[in-house]
Amino acid sequence: MLKVLIVDDEPPARERLRSLLAEIGDTEVVGEAGSGAEALSQATALSPDVVLLDVRMPGMDGIEAARHLSTLEEPPAVIFTTAYDQYAVNAFETRAVGYLLKPIRREKLAAALGQAGRLTRPQLQRLATAARAERRTHIAARHREGLRLIPIEEVQYFLAEQKYTTVRHLRGEDLIEDSLRLLEEELAPDFVRIHRNALVAVRHLDRIERNADGQCFVRLRGCEAPLAVSRRMAGELRERFRL
Amino acid sequence: MLRQALRGGAESFYLPDFCTSRAALAIVLIVELTAIVLALARQGVNHGANPGAAADFWADLARTSLFLLWVGLICAALLCWTRGRLERLTVARGSAAVLALLLAVIAAISAAAYFIGHSQLAIGAGAAEFFPAAALPFVLRNMAIGFVIVAVALRYFHVTHQWRRNIEMRAAARVHALQARIRPHFLFNSMNTIASLTRSDPVLAEQAVQDLADLFRASLSDQRQHITLEEELEVARTYQRIEELRLGPRLCVSWDVDRLPRDARVPGLVLQPLIENAIYHGIEPRPAGGTVSIVGELTGDLITIVVRNPVAERQSEREGNRLALANIRERLALLYGELALVKAGRFGEEYIVTLRFPHVTAQSTGATATGATASKKAG
Repeated sequence: MLKVLIVDDEPPARERLRSLLAEIGDTEVVGEAGSGAEALSQATALSPDVVLLDVRMPGMDGIEAARHLSTLEEPPAVIFTTAYDQYAVNAFETRAVGYLLKPIRREKLAAALGQAGRLTRPQLQRLATAARAERRTHIAARHREGLRLIPIEEVQYFLAEQKYTTVRHLRGEDLIEDSLRLLEEELAPDFVRIHRNALVAVRHLDRIERNADGQCFVRLRGCEAPLAVSRRMAGELRERFRL
Repeated sequence: MLRQALRGGAESFYLPDFCTSRAALAIVLIVELTAIVLALARQGVNHGANPGAAADFWADLARTSLFLLWVGLICAALLCWTRGRLERLTVARGSAAVLALLLAVIAAISAAAYFIGHSQLAIGAGAAEFFPAAALPFVLRNMAIGFVIVAVALRYFHVTHQWRRNIEMRAAARVHALQARIRPHFLFNSMNTIASLTRSDPVLAEQAVQDLADLFRASLSDQRQHITLEEELEVARTYQRIEELRLGPRLCVSWDVDRLPRDARVPGLVLQPLIENAIYHGIEPRPAGGTVSIVGELTGDLITIVVRNPVAERQSEREGNRLALANIRERLALLYGELALVKAGRFGEEYIVTLRFPHVTAQSTGATATGATASKKAG
């Protein structure tokens, strides 16, 4: 029995998938979700084997939801569904990612369920770029109870540690697996690299300070500790933000 | 957006560019032809009075064309030089300025010709007979001739400019009409909804198929043809019904159009694309959905329709939106010219599109339609 989670913002589309799956048999619909965020909490609670994920959804779109799903300990396989989205379809096609075109045919759905595979995080990031998806709205951090979603606006900085990256945000700190380089690529120009190991949110920047040894630091609003700025970045920061 | 709308509606200056060598050549040709006409006319008049004057034809032609070449080329140079400033004026002021400028040039050159004729240079050379005898009648006569010719030329340039602009607008409107047909995204999503309803609610599925068919019939029909506002409102409502099936309670549409005259003539698909945009950009991207509001007013004989939708938190590319607006603007302008207005822009948390056009009913547009065919034949 394959456990399936259906994610689509349109109720008729969910209903149709449910009846198609009933006809195919040997599957169990464990849940339905109407948005990306709901999909994540459902997936964490129900641990489905496969998620049928609509690409275009309000709030968090399907591609972003898939990226967050991939941070789960046991990520489900993902099959994207879309009515019409040329960029996304091209991206799925060239990367051999499972997708279905709406209205979905029963045979194609059955075949896709048989082949559905997991996607890795770097794979998904490249997919997001190729599909010209909107930038992520959240950063997902794995937690004991599941996933914690941190809105990008609340992130103050990312700090690279040896194996993990620390996200410092308005409600605390979390560990994530994304590399600082990939985060910088994705989040520029709203985030700026101030040091080899630190990427800070421009919107939270407050001022630059210099200590007696000539070392520069930035202060972020709502952060006690100053962050070291590399010599190379100090001039550029001052010029760009008039700090 | 608003500024772009205003610029799109404004008329560019209609005079051709006199800075090119082609224009200079054309002026020389026109001047020579005018000189021949004048010399021939004078020849005919003088012939009756003084038979010996026939031999003077070539001399007369030479001095007339010398004078006219000065006038023509200096006028062209002045128009070339002042073009940048003239372009910034309205059509009426620009025309008046051109007329005044050219008359001043004609007066100045006429006066100069008279003074050269009375200088020692001409008298000494025995050439005084080639120059006008009295100053004031000569200058005034030339100004009168100049006034008529410049006025006729301006009218000619204005009409050909309007005609060319009209042709260009028609061509652009046709292209945009093709591009503005209903989005594939909407088509496939509707098909999916219908596929689902076929099982769960066949009656609703049947209605959705009929609605979709009506909508496509409207979108495939010749968009240069005009329909009544009532028909257009029905198309928009049909579209709304299909979207409601798909989006459920997330979509709310409020209509306040009871004051609109149902018999007003409009281009087909003038309102439906605005509702489609409002839903696609304003409602679909919002998790909680929202309300699209359509308000119609009739003040005097002006119809105003305002479509509002909430702005999505994340503003996506609005390429399709701009195309649809440009298309509606062009088609309304083709029908109502300067009287039609399309404005669009973001105001705080709302995106607002305003349409304004005169209330013209079926009977009175009959005359406009025949007028249009007549001008097409003339072109």
